[in-house]
Amino acid sequence: MPVGGFVINVDPERIEESVHRLESVEGVEIHGSDNKGNVVAVMESSTSSEMEAMVKAIMAIETVYSVALTYFNGEDEVERGRDGV
Amino acid sequence: MGLSRREFIKRTAALTAASYAGLSLPISNEDYSAHASDADSWHKGTCRLCGSGCRLELEVKNGKAVALRGIPQSRTNMGYLCMKGMLFYKLMGNNHPERLKKPLYRARKDQPFREISWDRALDIASKEFAKTVKKYGNNSVAYYGSGQAFTEETYIFQKVMRGGLKTNNVEGNPRLCMASAVGGYVTSFGADEPIGSYSNFERASCFFIIGSNTAEAHPVLFRRIMRRKMDNKDTVKVINADPRVSPTSRIADLHLQFAPGTDLALLNAMAYVILEDKLYNEDFLKNYADFRMGKKKKKVSLQKYMAFIKDYTPEKVARICGGNITADKIRKAALWFAKSEGTMSLWTMGINQRSRGVWANNLIHNLHILTGQLCRPGADSFSLTGQPNACGGVREGGGLCHILPAHRLVKKNKLRHQVERLWGIPEGRIPPKPGYHTMAMFEAVNEGKIKAIWINCTSPAQSLPNCDKYRKGMRREDVFIVVSDIFPTKTTELANLILPTAFIFEKTGVYGCTERRSQLTVKAVNAPGEAKPEVWMVREWALRLSKELNDPVIKKCVEPFMGKEPDYELPKAIWEEYTQKLTKGRDNDLSGATYEVLEKLPDGVQWPAPTKQWALKGGTDIKFVRGLDPLADKYAKNDLPYQFYGPAHPDRKLWIWLRPQKGPAEMPDSKYPFYLSTGRIIDHWHTSSMTGRIIELMRANPYAYVEVNPKDAERLGIKPGDMIEVVSRRGRNILPAKVYVGPCEGMVFVYWHDEDENRMINRVTKDAFDPGSKEPEFKICACRIKRVSGPRPLKPFLVHMKA
Ligand code: SF4
Repeated sequence: MPVGGFVINVDPERIEESVHRLESVEGVEIHGSDNKGNVVAVMESSTSSEMEAMVKAIMAIETVYSVALTYFNGEDEVERGRDGV
Repeated sequence: MGLSRREFIKRTAALTAASYAGLSLPISNEDYSAHASDADSWHKGTCRLCGSGCRLELEVKNGKAVALRGIPQSRTNMGYLCMKGMLFYKLMGNNHPERLKKPLYRARKDQPFREISWDRALDIASKEFAKTVKKYGNNSVAYYGSGQAFTEETYIFQKVMRGGLKTNNVEGNPRLCMASAVGGYVTSFGADEPIGSYSNFERASCFFIIGSNTAEAHPVLFRRIMRRKMDNKDTVKVINADPRVSPTSRIADLHLQFAPGTDLALLNAMAYVILEDKLYNEDFLKNYADFRMGKKKKKVSLQKYMAFIKDYTPEKVARICGGNITADKIRKAALWFAKSEGTMSLWTMGINQRSRGVWANNLIHNLHILTGQLCRPGADSFSLTGQPNACGGVREGGGLCHILPAHRLVKKNKLRHQVERLWGIPEGRIPPKPGYHTMAMFEAVNEGKIKAIWINCTSPAQSLPNCDKYRKGMRREDVFIVVSDIFPTKTTELANLILPTAFIFEKTGVYGCTERRSQLTVKAVNAPGEAKPEVWMVREWALRLSKELNDPVIKKCVEPFMGKEPDYELPKAIWEEYTQKLTKGRDNDLSGATYEVLEKLPDGVQWPAPTKQWALKGGTDIKFVRGLDPLADKYAKNDLPYQFYGPAHPDRKLWIWLRPQKGPAEMPDSKYPFYLSTGRIIDHWHTSSMTGRIIELMRANPYAYVEVNPKDAERLGIKPGDMIEVVSRRGRNILPAKVYVGPCEGMVFVYWHDEDENRMINRVTKDAFDPGSKEPEFKICACRIKRVSGPRPLKPFLVHMKA
C-alpha cells in the first residue's frame, strides 16, 4: 500500500473550503495547513495507480494551484513484484 | 509502545511534507531511530524527467529502490517533486520487466534481432565504424547524443569522435530544443547560459512568461513562481504571453494571446512603449549597452534603434498579433516589466522552436537591457532548459558540431589547438570545420553521406520534425545504426545494433541544469541484466577502433581512463579531466567542483566555481557581478559593478539587436487553414518510452489528442472525443479531439509523446529551421483538420521488442 506525503497549494483566500473538499477525497488525510494556503496531506491507496487518480482528482479542484510530493513509499508494491508490470 | 510500520510510514510522510512547507504538526515519530535503521540506505541524486534538476533521495532495500523523498536543502526544488519524479524509480534495476538487458544485433534491418555478447557487440560496432571511415572518409560517421546523457558520457563520446575519428559530426537533441537560446545568449550577452539563478523566483516582482507552459513542463519550478505570486498577490505581477491558454495561465494577471509567429512584433512593441514612455534605464544603457544590426553585427546608434522601433506602435502591432491583444495590454505589460523591482522573463520551446528563434531570444534580452532588469535581485532573462543535462552535458561539454568542451568554438584555431594540447594529441587532429548540425546530419543519412551513426539515449525517429522523411534514410540498408538506450523505441526499430544501458542511479555521473548548476548522482542499484554505463562502452569501443584503424591516437583519447572500474572510478576520472583541464580558466570554470565537493552538497555547484572553497558554498548565484562572481573580480577592467566578460563580446557590452518581425516558414492558407503547434503534457516525457512504461502515468494519459478551440469545433461540427484527421503537406495523424479553450481560434495543438503511427505528430510537423541556431520550427506549421468519425475505442501504444 503506497503512502505519499504531499504539500498542496490552495487559494489562500479559500483555504477552509479547499480543505473541506480535499478531505472528501477518499484516502486523503489532511494533517494541517497555514494561512498561505499550504496544506499538508497524506495519501494512502492500494496501488500507486490509485494514488495517481487521487492526485488527478485533487488537481481538478479549481482552488488547487499545485500538488507537490515530498515523500513516497512504495515498498510493499516493489516487494510484491507487481510494480510497473 | 512503538508504532506499527504502516503508521510509521504515514507519519514520516506527514512530517516530511510539513517540514518542507514550514508547518509544525502535533505528531512525532517516537520510534524513528528503530525504523530508520531498517532502511538499507538512502542515496542522493537528480530526477531525470525534465530540466528542473530536482534533487531527491532514493531508499534502497535489499538492492531494490523502494521509496524516495525530496531533499529539502536542495536549492533547485527545496524538497518538492512532481508525479513523474515520484514514480520514475519504477524503471530502475529489476523493477521493470521490459528493460533492455542484452546487446541485440541484426546485419540487415529486415531481419529479427539476436542476442549477442558484449564482446561481439563491441567488435561489430568498431569494425563497422572503421570500415566506413576507411571506405568513405572520416565525415561518413557520426554521433547523435542527448541532453539526458551525463556530462561524462557526452564528453567521452565527443572526445573519441573528434580526437580519435577526426570528425566534428557530434550532435545531440538539444539542437532541437535549446540551440536558439544558446544563440540568443551569445549574441546578446556575449556568453551562453543565464546570468542569474532559480533564487530569483523568490525575489522577482514581475514574471514575464512567454512560450513556456511552465506548470506542466517544469512543475516544481512553477510551484516556486506560484508560491511567490500567492504570497504577494497584489505586488507581484505575472504576465503570460502565449497563443495557447495553458495551466500556466491560471496564475497570470495578464494573458497576452497572440497569433502564432507574431512574437517578434509583440516584443518590439513592448520595447516601443519602453522608449516612448522613457521607461528605460539611462545609466545602464550608457555603461553597458550597444546597439547592433545585421549579419555583420554592425554597431548603430540609439537614434537608429529608435527609428527602427517606430514601426512597432502598440496599435499597429495589436492588429498584427490578433488574438486578444490590444494596444492597452501591450502598454500595461511593458509598464509592469520596466517598473517592477525585479523582472524575470522565462521561456522555453515556444520561443526557441521558431525559424527566428535566436531573434526572439534577442528581443526578450533587449527588454532586459533597455530597462536594466539584469544582475540585481529578481531581475533576469532566464531561459528554461527542457532536458536535465542539455546545459551541463551538451552546451558545456562539447556536444554540438560547432562547439568543443567549455564553450570553445571549433572554428577558432587557438581554441581547437588548446583542446588538442590538453588531450595530448597531435595538433591538427580535430578538423577545423564544424560537422553536420542535426537536421543536416539526418539529411546526410538520407543522402547516404553518413554511413554509420551511433545514437545515444534519444529517439530521433520520433522526435525529428517531418520524421517520415528522415526515417526513410535511417531505414537504408547501407546505413549502420547503433542505438544505446534502456527501452525499445521508434529508433531501436531502425537499428542494427542495440546496446542496453544503465539508467540513472544505476551508474554515476553529473547533470547540469538550467541555472548553471552541476549535480552528481552516484550509483545506488545494479543495472538489470547486462546493461552497462555508456562510458564503459565508449572506452572499450575506442580501444578496438584504435586497433582496427591502426591509429594509436584513438587509444590515446581513452588512455587516462584505462583500468578504471566503470560504476564510479571511470566517470570520476572523466569528470576530473573535463573540469580540471578543459574548464579551468574558461567562463564555465568547474575546477572547484570535484566529485568530493559535489558529494558533500545536497544539490550541487553553479559555475563559475574556480576553487573548492567557492564551490563548497554552491558556486556563483549571479554571474558578472563584482563581489558575487569571482571571475567578474578577476577580469574587471574598470570600477563598474557589472563586468560582462563573456568570450563572444570583446567590447564587454550587452548588445541590443534590431530584429524585425518575421512570420513562420509556413503560414496557413486556403488549403491548410490552421496553425498546428505541439508540446508536452505533465505526465509524459518526450517520446514516452519511459513514462509510457509507468503504468500510472500511462493510464492518466494513454494517448495524444488534438486540442481544438470551441469556436472552430462548432464551425466544423467537432464534438469532444470525435476522431480528427490532422493533415499537412508532409503527413497525417488521426487523433481524438479535446474541445478546449486552450489554443486560440484558427490553431490546433497536439501532444508529441505518443508512439502510435496514427498519433505521432512529428509526421505532420515541418522541418524548417532557424538559419542561425539550426533549431527546427516545431511550434508552427500549417495544417487542415477534418472530423472523420465519432469517438472510437483507442489503445495506448508502445514499441515492444520483437524477438
Ligand atoms: S519537476 Fe522535473 S525534475 Fe522535478 S520531479 Fe518533476 S520531472 Fe523530476
